[in-house]
Amino acid sequence: MTRKLIASFLSCGALLLAHHGTSVTYEVDKTITLTGTVTEFSYSYPHPQLYFDVKDANGVVQHWGSEFGPTPMMMKNMKVGWSRESIKPGDALVITCNPHKTPGATVCLAKELIVNGKKLPLGGGGQPTQTSATKE
Amino acid sequence: MRRPLLIFLASASIAAAQAPPAKGPGTFDPKNLTGKYHRETPFQTYSNVPGGANELQAFLLKQAPAPRKLDVPTEEAPFTPAGEAAFDKNIPSYGRRIAAPKIGNDPQGMCDPWGVPRMLNGQVAGPHSTLEILQTPGRTFMFSEWHHDYRVVFTDGRQLPKPDEIEPKWNGYSIGQWEGNTFVVKSIGFDERTWLDHNGYPHTDQMQLEERYRKLDADTLELTETITDPQYYSKPFKSDRKIWKLMKDAAKDWDEQIYCVPSEEFKFNKLIRDGNVGKP
Repeated sequence: MTRKLIASFLSCGALLLAHHGTSVTYEVDKTITLTGTVTEFSYSYPHPQLYFDVKDANGVVQHWGSEFGPTPMMMKNMKVGWSRESIKPGDALVITCNPHKTPGATVCLAKELIVNGKKLPLGGGGQPTQTSATKE
Repeated sequence: MRRPLLIFLASASIAAAQAPPAKGPGTFDPKNLTGKYHRETPFQTYSNVPGGANELQAFLLKQAPAPRKLDVPTEEAPFTPAGEAAFDKNIPSYGRRIAAPKIGNDPQGMCDPWGVPRMLNGQVAGPHSTLEILQTPGRTFMFSEWHHDYRVVFTDGRQLPKPDEIEPKWNGYSIGQWEGNTFVVKSIGFDERTWLDHNGYPHTDQMQLEERYRKLDADTLELTETITDPQYYSKPFKSDRKIWKLMKDAAKDWDEQIYCVPSEEFKFNKLIRDGNVGKP
């Protein structure tokens, strides 16, 4: 399995508190980078989910899942620059993410996404589209 | 409803009528509440108790070295022993008692309605923080983007129903009246399965809720809430002061239609949040 643990322990980033419990589900001070192949992209509520296979050096395939920011933030009207059609089964994937806290779980919180060599911004700033009132 | 609410009903019955057009100081109409607002004050809680979700959110989202000090912290909930026991049973996934969803019991995780007043206090993030108000003759509507839900406040002069004649509902029964330039909403008949906010504050079906809305200027709306629920709170429990800003341009946007969809939510929780991807 191509699992490269990034040694740097990042500071507590701009966590997505959008859905309940995000901050206690993942090890937000750690990131891992995985290389794999997309099996399913579920552009659904409450968070888009990406499922993919990761093959280790011995050819053993492990199935993974990852979630993104809250779905409304990923929508076209949030100007992330891509859509539900942008990721398809079979696409080559490099994902950097926070690992799940459950030991052995093959789930992570996406922080950076490269699909077929193209970086897809994940958005998730938590800001509404048009207002000057937000200070959160 | 198990207990008469005589005092509350008596006060609520006073001239619950549709507000006539009025002009206040300056150039805005203080009785025109219609519009789509975005909450400017911290979200997620009914009250601004120290260590609550507001502080945690500020810590996490703003990368603060420590939870910030609250500008105007409110007092701890005046729980009765029964109220504290009910609070302990509610295990939220926000705030100082935050727990992973799989060991929590937030009704939100089952796509249950937020209900009132969580509709006014809860926010998920970003665009979900909106509240849209629409005043019509006899009724005022309040729209929450989460669940694409709305509640109705009757302003046609009716009184609140008698507690023993109604069944609790998710959003309760509400009437509104103007006290000067303050729109006062009084409600009863709430389904006790809902929480007051993301922190898991409980209530019984005897809860009385008073909301006070006041325009501070043309674009700014103030809201304070007070609940009276003697079984769970030994005295009226007042919320923090919530400030909403009018979103003039955003009201023209397509509505977001943010629903909690069980077929999507449950799959997400089981596979992703509970860490079961790849497991049989």
